[in-house]
Amino acid sequence: MAWQQKILRVNLSKGSCDIEPLNMEWAEAYLGSRGLGSKYLYEEMEPAVDALSTENKIIFATGPLTGTMASTSGRYTVVTKGALTGAIACSNSGGKFGGELKNAGYDMLIIEGKSDKPVYLHIEDDKVEICDAGDIWGKTVWETEDILAAKYGDPLMRFAGIGQAGETLCRYACVVNDKHRAAGRSGVGAVMGSKNLKTIAVRGTVGTPAASREVYQKINEINARMNDREGMARDGTLAMMDVTNGFGSLPTRNNRSVRFEGANKLNPEAMHTPNPNGHTNIVTNGACFGCTIGCGRICKIDPTHFSVKDRPEYQGASGGLEYETAYALGSACGVDDIDAATFAGFICNEYGMDPISLGGSIAAAMELFDIGAIDESTTGGIKLEFGNAEALCQIAELVGKGEGFGADVALGSKRLCEKYGHPDLSMTVKGQEFAAYDGRSMQGMGLAYATSNRGACHLRADPYEHDFDTTEIEGKAQVVAESQRLVAFMDSSGLCLFPAGCGWGTEDYCELVDLVCEGDWSTEARMVETGERIWNLEKLFNLKAGLGKKDDTLPKRILEEPADVGTGKGLVCRLDEMLPEYYAINGWDAEGVPTRDTLSRLGID
Amino acid sequence: MDISVTLFGGLRHYLPAGSSFNKCMIDVDEGSSLAALLQKIPVPSDKPYMVILNDEKVASDHFDEITIQGDDEVVLLPPIKGG
Ligand code: SF4
Repeated sequence: MAWQQKILRVNLSKGSCDIEPLNMEWAEAYLGSRGLGSKYLYEEMEPAVDALSTENKIIFATGPLTGTMASTSGRYTVVTKGALTGAIACSNSGGKFGGELKNAGYDMLIIEGKSDKPVYLHIEDDKVEICDAGDIWGKTVWETEDILAAKYGDPLMRFAGIGQAGETLCRYACVVNDKHRAAGRSGVGAVMGSKNLKTIAVRGTVGTPAASREVYQKINEINARMNDREGMARDGTLAMMDVTNGFGSLPTRNNRSVRFEGANKLNPEAMHTPNPNGHTNIVTNGACFGCTIGCGRICKIDPTHFSVKDRPEYQGASGGLEYETAYALGSACGVDDIDAATFAGFICNEYGMDPISLGGSIAAAMELFDIGAIDESTTGGIKLEFGNAEALCQIAELVGKGEGFGADVALGSKRLCEKYGHPDLSMTVKGQEFAAYDGRSMQGMGLAYATSNRGACHLRADPYEHDFDTTEIEGKAQVVAESQRLVAFMDSSGLCLFPAGCGWGTEDYCELVDLVCEGDWSTEARMVETGERIWNLEKLFNLKAGLGKKDDTLPKRILEEPADVGTGKGLVCRLDEMLPEYYAINGWDAEGVPTRDTLSRLGID
Repeated sequence: MDISVTLFGGLRHYLPAGSSFNKCMIDVDEGSSLAALLQKIPVPSDKPYMVILNDEKVASDHFDEITIQGDDEVVLLPPIKGG
């Protein structure tokens, strides 16, 4: 049995820390991590509460496979109502924190209430204390980790916390663990900041529930089936940049174009090739707990680059550009300077911001600047033109600190564009900035963005193969709906999604869950039904929070302005044709509300 | 004539010896089809890829119909998932 069967509940208003049994009936229906965390949030909290109010809860949930020997088993999910979206937020992260929380004896940490002063949480197995954070409030994520690591003197202690962006309630503040891994999306860090909770320090010696030697041998056999890992280890997710640029689906300059002329300065080749100074951006790759892929980029900025020239603290190696960050801090802003984008990425990790939303928000601000809706008097003298790498770096730091025009960009693209009178320029769904795919040449991705329960997201469905195969919409609704269920299941297992592109099939996830959980999890039918149950529950949360069909949409640009080049040249996203079919496949009515029959089939009351 | 072919991601494994980071030149006869060019690139048949010819994707059922020109640029992309 891979669940610890224990929850740690911390009420910051009361100052209480209680250990409770895990609801195993729910675990059997919702598995763990994203699914089980969502079930607890849905049952315990009124979805209509303000995301930044005392009433919102924030849950750190591991899965049954988290902390086991299964490859990529370091994952955990932060579940809350998103500060950026007002929708359910399920933000997944790797690194080592998730495994440590599980090893401390907990499946889940539920945080409720609000402290009246800055605090942090210190967990060592069943010893749990809420500690004063007066001396770390106002510090960066990196400083906080260093100060507390030195205080406790335990190199194996792990941290998940916020930087200044979370403290100043930047709408897309994230929770950063292990210095450069993040539960990035939807503003989960702002929720933590609103509770005056700076960080969670955890050390676990209980271990993950023991399985037999036979089970571990089988896990090893399944790990060995992941036999196509080399490309991911060498190029990371950045390999996608050449694919989307060649295909014509790389969002560029706030989606004005779908191809970036500077992509070859941001791609894996650029990362691996020494620049004229002999400096190479990538140092090595990195891996989360127990991962046999190692897709992480560990990079260094050229010490002569303007961003770090007199700042030795940024000249060391740290988490570098992934595909999404290279898009958001690169092509979305028209910036082709790999060191500038890497610097802005470091700032995101240091101050605790989602780089996708930061880049999307800066891109929107650049377009506002371009059309004259804002000027240098608004930006504090910064020439916020597309392609201006120095402006990108300056704004990133201002957002992190919540200073000057950075406080406006910290609102996120939607609120920013509304504030300056051009809501159509916000490339968002449910207030969340697009990921690195354009929904005109990738029609399935357009549908996936529009229907994603947490706002625009590239990791809620798997339409890639179908989209790269055809721009025709036949079959897309089916592919999106079916893959949303599979991804929900995989996310709830405690494993990463990337093995599915490195040699594992969904049946390998199924087999692993079946190996470590009680009951029969071996069938595809149970996997699909569990995923569908999770998807419907998330949808119900959003409906109760006031989101509906009007929010299952895309920006006007994607629906009305044809793509300029590439495979999708001349196309707009045909969302209005796909959406009714998608609702019907899900067993939802014409307004996108799950029918009574659907809910009862899934056992949701 | 020599045609420039770029292989991205894991496909780089299959570049002929002596190629640069991700590019090689493939020699084909004048008037050759795209299909004939692709046959000369040593990517195993069980490795799927997308073909981009001069920045536009080409569907596999058109490989035979397209005649390669001397200044064409061919790019092979592996099918990868997002992240
Ligand atoms: S594949 Fe990458 S993101 Fe996933 S667990 Fe491994 S290193 Fe982490």
